[in-house]
Amino acid sequence: MQTITSHADASQEHEGQDNQLQHLNEVIEHAAHLLPAQGPITVFIHHNTLHAFEDLPFHDAVKKGAITFGCQPYLTEERYRYELARGRIRFGELQDVLDRDLGSRAGEQLPCFGTRFDLRLAMLQYPLTSGPTSELIWHVAEANALRRIRHDASSATRGRLIAETRRWVMRDLRARTESDAPGAQERRIPASITELLDRFGEATMEIWSDDEWEGFTIQALWRICIEGVRNLPQYTTPPTPLVRHRDLLHEACGVDADEPVNELLIRFCAAFLDQGLSHWQLPRRDEGFYRAFLAIYRHRGMGPDRWLRGLPRELARLDDARVGPLESILESLEILGVPPDEWEKFIATSLLALRGWGGMVRQVETRGDRAVHPIPGGSLVEFLAIRLILDRFSLAHNAREELGYMGPLDAFRKEARKHIKGTWPPSDEQRAYQVFQLAQILGLSPDLLFRLTKPEWATLVEEVESFTGIERRRVFHLAYELRFQTQTLDAIAIHARSNRGRPQSPRFQVVCCLDEREESFRRHLEELAPSVETFGAAGFYSVAMYYRGAADAHYVPLCPIVIQPRHWVTEEVNTDLNKRHQLRQQTRKVLGAASHHFHVGSRTFALGAVLTGFVGVFASVPLVGRILFPKLTAQIRGIFGKMVETPPNTRLHMERGNCEPGPDHQHVGYSVSEMADMGERLLRDIGLINGFARLLILIGHGSNSQNNPHVSAYNCGACGGSAGGPNARAMANVLNDRRVRTKLAERGLIIPETTVIVGGYHNTCDDSVTFSDLDLIPQSHRDEFDDARRLINQTCDRNAHERCRRFMSAPLTLSFADARDHVEERSEDISQTRPELGHATNAITIVGRREWTRNLFLDRRAFLTSYDPTQDDDEQSILTRILGAVFPVCSGINLEYYFSHVDNTGFGAGTKLPHNLASLLGVMDGAASDLRTGLPWQMVEIHEPVRSLFIIETTPKAMQRIIDNNPGIGRICRNGWVLLHTIDPTTHEIQVYSDGDFRPYKPQAGVLPKAASSVDWYRGWRDHLEFAEIEA
Amino acid sequence: MPDSATLIHALGFIVVASPTLLTAVLGFSSLMGWKLPEERQARFVYVAVVTGLLAAVAILADMLFVGTRHIPINIGNWVVIPGHYHFAIKIVFDRLSVPLAILSFVLSGTIGAFATRYMHRERGYNRFFMLYAIFMLGMVITSLAGTIETLFTGWELVGLSSALLVAFFQERSAPARNGLWVWTIYRVSDAALLLAAVVMHHLRGEGDFDQLLGGGNWPFEHSAVSSHEALVVGLLLLVAVAGKSALIPFSGWLPRAMEGPTPSSAVFYGSLSVHLGAFLLLRASPLLQNSQLLCGIIIALGLTTAVYAYLAGSVQTDIKSALSFASLSQVGIIVAEVGLGFHYVALFHLLGHACLRTLQFVRVPSLLQDYRSLENAIGERLPPAGTPFKRISANRGREWLFRFALERGYLDSFLKEYIVTPYIKAFRWCDSLERRWTDFLSGEDSRETENVTKPHFGTIEEYS
Repeated sequence: MQTITSHADASQEHEGQDNQLQHLNEVIEHAAHLLPAQGPITVFIHHNTLHAFEDLPFHDAVKKGAITFGCQPYLTEERYRYELARGRIRFGELQDVLDRDLGSRAGEQLPCFGTRFDLRLAMLQYPLTSGPTSELIWHVAEANALRRIRHDASSATRGRLIAETRRWVMRDLRARTESDAPGAQERRIPASITELLDRFGEATMEIWSDDEWEGFTIQALWRICIEGVRNLPQYTTPPTPLVRHRDLLHEACGVDADEPVNELLIRFCAAFLDQGLSHWQLPRRDEGFYRAFLAIYRHRGMGPDRWLRGLPRELARLDDARVGPLESILESLEILGVPPDEWEKFIATSLLALRGWGGMVRQVETRGDRAVHPIPGGSLVEFLAIRLILDRFSLAHNAREELGYMGPLDAFRKEARKHIKGTWPPSDEQRAYQVFQLAQILGLSPDLLFRLTKPEWATLVEEVESFTGIERRRVFHLAYELRFQTQTLDAIAIHARSNRGRPQSPRFQVVCCLDEREESFRRHLEELAPSVETFGAAGFYSVAMYYRGAADAHYVPLCPIVIQPRHWVTEEVNTDLNKRHQLRQQTRKVLGAASHHFHVGSRTFALGAVLTGFVGVFASVPLVGRILFPKLTAQIRGIFGKMVETPPNTRLHMERGNCEPGPDHQHVGYSVSEMADMGERLLRDIGLINGFARLLILIGHGSNSQNNPHVSAYNCGACGGSAGGPNARAMANVLNDRRVRTKLAERGLIIPETTVIVGGYHNTCDDSVTFSDLDLIPQSHRDEFDDARRLINQTCDRNAHERCRRFMSAPLTLSFADARDHVEERSEDISQTRPELGHATNAITIVGRREWTRNLFLDRRAFLTSYDPTQDDDEQSILTRILGAVFPVCSGINLEYYFSHVDNTGFGAGTKLPHNLASLLGVMDGAASDLRTGLPWQMVEIHEPVRSLFIIETTPKAMQRIIDNNPGIGRICRNGWVLLHTIDPTTHEIQVYSDGDFRPYKPQAGVLPKAASSVDWYRGWRDHLEFAEIEA
Repeated sequence: MPDSATLIHALGFIVVASPTLLTAVLGFSSLMGWKLPEERQARFVYVAVVTGLLAAVAILADMLFVGTRHIPINIGNWVVIPGHYHFAIKIVFDRLSVPLAILSFVLSGTIGAFATRYMHRERGYNRFFMLYAIFMLGMVITSLAGTIETLFTGWELVGLSSALLVAFFQERSAPARNGLWVWTIYRVSDAALLLAAVVMHHLRGEGDFDQLLGGGNWPFEHSAVSSHEALVVGLLLLVAVAGKSALIPFSGWLPRAMEGPTPSSAVFYGSLSVHLGAFLLLRASPLLQNSQLLCGIIIALGLTTAVYAYLAGSVQTDIKSALSFASLSQVGIIVAEVGLGFHYVALFHLLGHACLRTLQFVRVPSLLQDYRSLENAIGERLPPAGTPFKRISANRGREWLFRFALERGYLDSFLKEYIVTPYIKAFRWCDSLERRWTDFLSGEDSRETENVTKPHFGTIEEYS
């Protein structure tokens, strides 16, 4: 620090620095929004991967996201072309989309190449090779591209191309040389063609073989293209300049200065964030990331790493002078020579260099309630401060080693730029090669191109270059979505006409989660028992609670992530069984403590030796058993587990006395009026206010699988990534309560005396349904319940059967019972990376009455939320509150699957196989890597990345009002993150929302295929299926 | 009715032939570019493992009932110079090799079954099983080897397949880098083993263990080698052992090897591969006993490694590294046990440790669920395991130790900065000398490859 000359100056300087620090803090806050927003893996919440760009229209956002994160916005062109070839994208629809995309510009004539539409269509249809000159040289040599006409040009085109060239050469060019015919002089004969003629032997032209003519044609074409593009202005925009020193160094010499920095930071971050995996906690963790790092790494004389030489001295200086993290960042920025106008970009890219860990620091600091060991606020700033210090050391070291650069770092970027040979502007070869390829495809002969003037060439090349790869993929993607949209809307439009209304006096009623995995469950149940009525609701059933089961250690929030529960519910064991329960609890505790000791001990030194030496061999029994006979082992474990499990007779502690809600025993539960509110809300949401059956079954869902860190992502999203059984049970308790029913009756919602409500739990992995509080079912309803249970069991078999068609390792010939066995084995198999396929098939979100989707085979692709518009008020308050949950949840799931599929490496978590659990918070690839956020490939493999089709049963006017009044919903709809449609409650006319307006949809098809049952329709098929009507 | 000896020979042949055949079948079809469906490959693996395992168990049964303790089977000689030298391919069934062979089959087989489902639809499925077959073959050959050359063959196969499996996800840079690191360490270890073989040949004119180690059955052989000779051979073997079993100073590769798919980490580093070093020591144990000094070094190395691994392991925050250090700490103890002369204890410890660690490794992704169920059983958050050396009260000391552990004892940095970098520098210097010399002799730039012209306009046509 320099000596300070005057007090006034000092305070001014101080103020200036304060402002600067504040600005810096804002910049960091802003950049932090780009980090992945995924929290700890134990509570996996699906959300839009590009949430930071939700303010932009979808296509702009994916492009911007692609640049910011270095990821792919759409599928690859090859993939789309493959989809075109197999008919998933229809050629006609591709043309429609292109035509609509170009609007009035479609028909404009271009020199030689037909209309703009023709040119773009050709560019979509045929893969064009492009790249720097050196790559083209390789390609030309490999593909024989200067000897043969492209093999995908039709033979007619090829013939015409050669014939026209031949004619041109024979008549015009040779005529020019042999006779002095008038007019010959007028033609400029390019020297390059003359040279070519000489090379091929002009004199023997009459006896040139077909191959020689082909070679001549193609080379003449190439030479004319090269000459055509020469000296044209650039039409593509240069890539945005790199700001990070590391990126420039990497461009300049291929060395990654981030590598050693990341290696060290990952280790330290993991130790700092650790939630209990390591035995030894980071010393001084409480003092924060920055101070802990300074304290531990300031000691000298450790580690021979040359790039870290001088680090201890620097850290000691920062530590002793009490330089804060923000000041340190400011220092680093100065040393690196980054002016304030570059801060934003520089800090964003620096944070994104280790985005998974950075994002997790952010998540744990802001949502400490979701972590066991929270960290202090401001940790991200401290993380950045350390990162920049390490970056400086690594850069200085690598610049010296690789480029021999010894100067100050603030001048390094200028130096590095000198070493970079950019890829922009493209070479003449690169530009000519595009036109050259297109000319072959369209059959444009050399003389035709030869006659083009320079301005015409300019128009042509600009046209070709402005239809970039990303633009082509966007058009492809629109066509890809259009096929699915047409198919879905046709199916709904046609099927809705045969609406038969609600079943009269239903045998029993079932409410499931709106999850698309329950679509098939409900369909099979309705097929088995046509008189059963089903509903769909968000799977927490309006019961937002912290829940603790009888055998659980902690409360778990069971509600959507956006809700903070205000009530606590526990599961309690019947008093008469309490003794046995306590004994078992004791046993569990002893066994638990013992196995924890074993777990920890096997990793220690002496105890480990005793354990592995003496009992290690016996580990081969569970090892072999669990891998070779997973189901049998599970059964055996089940038998042993029974000895210590809680007695089956438990009750939920639902009711609270006159006190505030809280986690302690006497504060647990709801008041009766709160219960009535919850009950009313659920029933009104799903539109079940009359026509109650004698039995109403509420089914929550979850998923049980082994060896799966992502298990939470398979659970119920509406229950915050946990299993939703307790919610269904709690709601059943509420609705069975006489006092609640009285209160509901006062509000005009009469549940008949004879109606009994039962809670259940659907395990979507092994397809079992279990029920709770069976002893509370009155004798009068026993038979009906047994009947319902039998039907639901059969439904499970069929549901398993339908799911098995998507598992490549399940034979297509399975019977219902075999299929059930198969999925049960899957859920117990520790080597199974696809215990179930999660939301992989999601693509549609339907909000409306079941009547018009019932008996429609929706192929497990639709979220089905029940909503009865006829019971809603004029303000659509019910619809508004339903959509308030449905929009973020369903579009979040859909978009997370979209991005994880289109770029599984960048946005997704890659393949599961090398995943390694770190800090109990997330997974890394292999030994050490950035935390992998998003979904693993095994989950999204069969997903079709399309934006969700929202079909909402209401009028366009009402929907428009909801869009206008709810910023969150409005943003998603207006910016096209979902494809919004309404279906009229009375006429069933579908309206498509686009550009802020609803337009009626005209169905393309007249009839839907019909099948006797779901099985008949899907049997024998693995792929996504078209929709069909089931004749029940 | 074939007599017992023929039967045993046939069985012994089957034990080696089944993994060989598997390697040949998978390798040949890969070379020919035939795409075998997943189920068929799984079938081949199953048949090979079961056949090999049954044959090995039959031999064990025979040994138990008949009471033979040493069954050598000569497959043939590669090179014979009568009277001076022979290079035999020979396998031996004794109390050491049979358990290890059976262990190899059981663990490889189980992991094979695991992998057929775990690797389902993965792009490298075929490659994985190809490497798996090579690995199993290497393990079986190493455990049954009767001569040091045969052992070296198996040792090499294990090393090669392991390094390639570390680099399995070759599209990312970290696996490739770490695979190379593992491979480099293995080469050092291989070189030491090869030198040991040369020294043994020099001493005895052959590499047969039963000659070098003297008469008697394992572990009661009596080696006639002198103490000095034992020290030389033993030290070379120890370098080989340290490389393969990740003893100090080579320990850094073990956590780095966790890049491959989970089953490969499980079987290769958690259980089988990392124990090969200890096995080699067991095989050569009669030799070791001839030198007290050697034994002392082995014990010291084993214990240091164990303490080091325990220390490093207790700060690891990812489960695979934590387990690999846990594994290493036990390997260190096993090595020390060999040094102390407790052969049966070491063997039993080795077998038990391999099984337990494999189970732990394949269940690695279950950790969160396990923690949760443990917490539920105990009824509260898991108690912190506590820091080692609680008595170090001085902050400075604790920070120092923590950082030492977190940086894994700086072993890799030491190797990189003090061995790799000087080594590369030395060879670059030699290279520059050579260039100057050749340039001088030829009177012009002597290296054509350095003057490849940059592509220029028109190159495209030249290359077409």
